[in-house]
Amino acid sequence: MKDKALEIKNLSVNLGGIKVLQNINFILEKGEVAALVGPNGAGKSTLIKAVLGLVSYKGEIKILGQDNKGKSSYKLGYVPQYFSFDLEFPLTVNEFLSFNPKLKDKGEADKALKEVEMYKYKDNKLAKLSGGQKQRVLIAQAILSDPDLLFLDEPTTGIDASGEKGFYEIIEHLNKVHGTTIVLSSHELSMVYKYADKVICLNQEMYCSGDPNKAITKDVLESLYGKDTELKPHIH
Amino acid sequence: MLEIFELAFMQRALITGIILAVVLSYLGVFVILRKMSFFADGIAHSSLAGVAIGVLASFYPLVSAIAFSLLMGLLIYYLEEKSRLSSDTIIGIIFSSGLALGAMLMSFKSGYQPELISFLFGNILAISWLDLAVIAVVGLLIVLFVKFHYKKLVLISLNEDLANAQGVKSKSLKLFLYLSLSMAVVLAIKVLGLILASALLIIPVATAKSFAKSLQHLNSLSIFIAIITVFLGLLISYYFDLTTGPTIVLLGAVIFFLSLLFKEKN
Repeated sequence: MKDKALEIKNLSVNLGGIKVLQNINFILEKGEVAALVGPNGAGKSTLIKAVLGLVSYKGEIKILGQDNKGKSSYKLGYVPQYFSFDLEFPLTVNEFLSFNPKLKDKGEADKALKEVEMYKYKDNKLAKLSGGQKQRVLIAQAILSDPDLLFLDEPTTGIDASGEKGFYEIIEHLNKVHGTTIVLSSHELSMVYKYADKVICLNQEMYCSGDPNKAITKDVLESLYGKDTELKPHIH
Repeated sequence: MLEIFELAFMQRALITGIILAVVLSYLGVFVILRKMSFFADGIAHSSLAGVAIGVLASFYPLVSAIAFSLLMGLLIYYLEEKSRLSSDTIIGIIFSSGLALGAMLMSFKSGYQPELISFLFGNILAISWLDLAVIAVVGLLIVLFVKFHYKKLVLISLNEDLANAQGVKSKSLKLFLYLSLSMAVVLAIKVLGLILASALLIIPVATAKSFAKSLQHLNSLSIFIAIITVFLGLLISYYFDLTTGPTIVLLGAVIFFLSLLFKEKN
């Protein structure tokens, strides 16, 4: 059996008196790509934030066998859900990467940009890039420290079809070539089937966990998205 | 033309104006990025209560205004963190109640109140050496703080979650940014008045934003535009016998609109 990358036991999160997540349990192994699926408000972003230590929670979260609340030796990368700012703001791609406190020298930023095929845009303004290009730059900042685990919160929202395909190819490259364990939340079930080793179905509680082809059933989809949801056959 | 700067009061006015131009436009980048112009206005207006406390207690009003503005900055931060009220609502309440308290306190002092007029509309030509010293020391501390934490401050302004995930302590930095902004705005009330104090935070950066090629370029261009605006504003107000604060602000606005026209044509 492979080493555990992420272990979550009895995780519950209350935000402002509202139960956002209840009794979540799952294990991810090193080198897996896991997809968190569920409707809006299901708690996908909150789960990622709990693992990153950005919200308080009850339960246990272990990353590479270490509690996420104490001192740790693991490295995490994060791509947030919302990243919008004034389109006239003249922040360049290079400047944005230089803000990451983990950046040791400029060579690391160049290497990360080449990894996501954005090196030629390094002096461009971040706000002027397309949604797909902006997302690649966000991945570049997340992989600067060569993370053990990479978390991406609804990374393909607002990206066109070709941008989305390119995005998942980068994710596949990071996973296969660098062995990075990846956790991403998504609404795109077709991409989950294609790229994820494991799926976690959430709607405040956990409705499934495992191989997407086995775990996502009609009953699970109805629990997540309502009675009229259809399970369309997927061609691999 | 420049012989007016041989006069001591014009020298103090010019030095103070340049210090404020640097401090305010340096901080103004964060005001524009975080869409905080209402914060700056709210602090400036509410600082009337601090001025009034100083005037009534026969205490140096600039220092009491700085102390009061720090308190208001702290209160806005606390309410934003602890309540579910929107930032706009919180600042709106602080803005009006500070102004109301200031007006009420001022009514306790009978007769003509030159300090009140001076703080409402500013009077750069009445800057004393003490004013200049306070503005220079506080301004330097603000610039040093921002320069030291510059990258982290930009990061928390872009996305707090991302900053936290990268190990940045965003809450304490945000609080210090609020306090720095509160102090910077109040430094400007001696020159521009509390009604116009936030103008130098916003107008030079808004003008420079359309032309800047990078954030570093935006910083230097904003500071350059702010210094030119203050310098020409002083000259124009002196030779045409106009009130200095409003002249500087109106000149800044004219440069901004001309830059918009230039940008549209190109």
